[in-house]
Amino acid sequence: MNEVVGSDTSIGSFFKALFVRFGFLVIIAAFFAFFSIYTDSFLNSSNLLNIVEGSAILLILALGMTLIVTMGGIDLSIGIAMDFGAAFAIVAMKDYQIAWYFAVMCGIAGGALIGLLNALLVVKLKVSPFMATLGTFFIGSSVQRIFTNGGGPISFRRVAQEYRDLAVGDIAGIPTEVVIAFVVLVVYFLLLERSVYGKRMHAIGLQQSAAVVAGISVRHYLFFGFVFASATCAIGGIIGSANLRMFTPLAGYSYLLDAIAAVFIGASIHPQGRPNVPGTLVGVFFLGIVANGLNLMGLNFNTKDALSGIILVVALALAVFQKRLR
Amino acid sequence: MSAVLANSSSAPSLFARFMSAAPLIVFMVLLVYLTVSAPNLLEPSTINLILKQSVPTVIVCLGLACVVIAGGDDVVSGGIDLSIPATAVLCAGIIADQLTNHDASIMTAIALASGAALSMGIANAVLVVFVGMAPLLATLASSVAAVGITKVITSSRRINVDHPFVIYIRDADMAGIPSAVIISAVFVLLFTIAVHRTRWGMQLQAVGGSREAAEVSGIRASRLVAQSFLIAALAGAVASVFVLARGSGSTPGSEENLLLEMVLATFLGAAFSPRRIVTVWGAVLGAVLVTVLSVGFKSIGVDVFWTGCIKGSLILVVVASAAYTGRAYT
Repeated sequence: MNEVVGSDTSIGSFFKALFVRFGFLVIIAAFFAFFSIYTDSFLNSSNLLNIVEGSAILLILALGMTLIVTMGGIDLSIGIAMDFGAAFAIVAMKDYQIAWYFAVMCGIAGGALIGLLNALLVVKLKVSPFMATLGTFFIGSSVQRIFTNGGGPISFRRVAQEYRDLAVGDIAGIPTEVVIAFVVLVVYFLLLERSVYGKRMHAIGLQQSAAVVAGISVRHYLFFGFVFASATCAIGGIIGSANLRMFTPLAGYSYLLDAIAAVFIGASIHPQGRPNVPGTLVGVFFLGIVANGLNLMGLNFNTKDALSGIILVVALALAVFQKRLR
Repeated sequence: MSAVLANSSSAPSLFARFMSAAPLIVFMVLLVYLTVSAPNLLEPSTINLILKQSVPTVIVCLGLACVVIAGGDDVVSGGIDLSIPATAVLCAGIIADQLTNHDASIMTAIALASGAALSMGIANAVLVVFVGMAPLLATLASSVAAVGITKVITSSRRINVDHPFVIYIRDADMAGIPSAVIISAVFVLLFTIAVHRTRWGMQLQAVGGSREAAEVSGIRASRLVAQSFLIAALAGAVASVFVLARGSGSTPGSEENLLLEMVLATFLGAAFSPRRIVTVWGAVLGAVLVTVLSVGFKSIGVDVFWTGCIKGSLILVVVASAAYTGRAYT
């Protein structure tokens, strides 16, 4: 399926290989240069920190998506898992006066519930991940509307300061959400890129039937993968709810396509075109740079939405096309 | 992904046989329940209303059926077009904006909308056929772009339309049958003949059945796949007129529900077909049944927030049953 880059050693093919491999990085550099020139404040150190901080939640969700795509699936319900994380944590603190760290666990458990539903559908009922998570997406959205009587936010102003600090505090001068995202990044890197479990997950994604023959318990890995990814997304939701001190229903939806895009952009810079953790990080920063730059250009809200949608399509097309050139 | 997990036992167990009939059973039970609790559901006026309500879904389902038939019915690697509802809402926005804010003639408005739909179709075809993106990813991305462009055109506001043409589509009837229903029946007939009765349709089905085999026998598969995306986008443009008529204007965000109904109806239709494949007739039947459920639940007073839950569960019942019976279309 994925051929290794040819063994041709002429200079021309070397540059072609270089472009094929790093083409997307050139695009990122071009956007970076464009925004640096056309806006005054883009290159400020505080703005660059803004980009990093603003990318934390997306990075966490995109990592969950990376895990699922690595195993050859797709998860359309990551936004729902994120919402459930926020809802469970906020409701636990507001209605049950639970300590903030237990609330965080409730949130993660809430997200894991969504993953559990996906896992049951995919592993037990043998529904394809796309249809299963699409169904979960619609059910999860509907449950949120029912629970909030149509989608009004649930706010909890008197949230514990420690919980609030998950989003707005800092550890040794680094924003806590960046630290959390970094920890998640390291965990996913070790799991997917450096452990035997990660190798097996890649094997499942590359050729499931071969993985079965090789003695990998595909069912267990899929089950674990869906639950783990959703629990991860719940962390993103908890950070979001800590920032606003409220649960906003259906807020996670806006991250879905960005997370998918980040994973596929990341796959495009991998030598074999596989989804991978460092690549996802690059994809997330690309999207963060574009969103931040468009903001600074002072565009109308609707225009910005349209432009970022079009940039996303073009970026994805380039990423996939580049992968195909190999 | 589910291919390997698919049922390996050869003799169909009782449970497997039950699972294969599950979508039909669930639908029949729901229908019986609805007709018992809302007796007026079967009155001619209600049936007329249901048919009229179902027109936009029927039309977008025709488009999706074409794409699925040409691309094969594996949702991830086969054909799917999630951007049809976004295209329909984009076109509705363009028509509404032109008619209400720019005093354009209906012909100009429809021409502009068709142009937009055509570019959506070309974009999808290029992304899938030329760039080689998975249709799922390509159309998901293009639908986000379309929603963004719709926001620019409509400024994220509702635009009311009272143009005589739209009112005509909304209100007029011929011999007691709403004109919208008659127009959509013509489209259904056209699509049925084109897909199931012509050489082109046979080639389309051949490509969807096995792309390699079709190419070996001299069919230009990529061209047919590209055509299916163009047709789907144009179906979106046609649906936009009915979306406008149904809502007496364009409403931002109405693509989400249309997407849900389209996917549910098209794959439900496959559950009804004898060979469990997506067909034009199946998709139309599915679209009407889904609308019956929507109208039925509304008329017995079920909260509108529940409909996503009910329809989402129905999708899962349909695809789980299909996966269990071993058909690979999930």
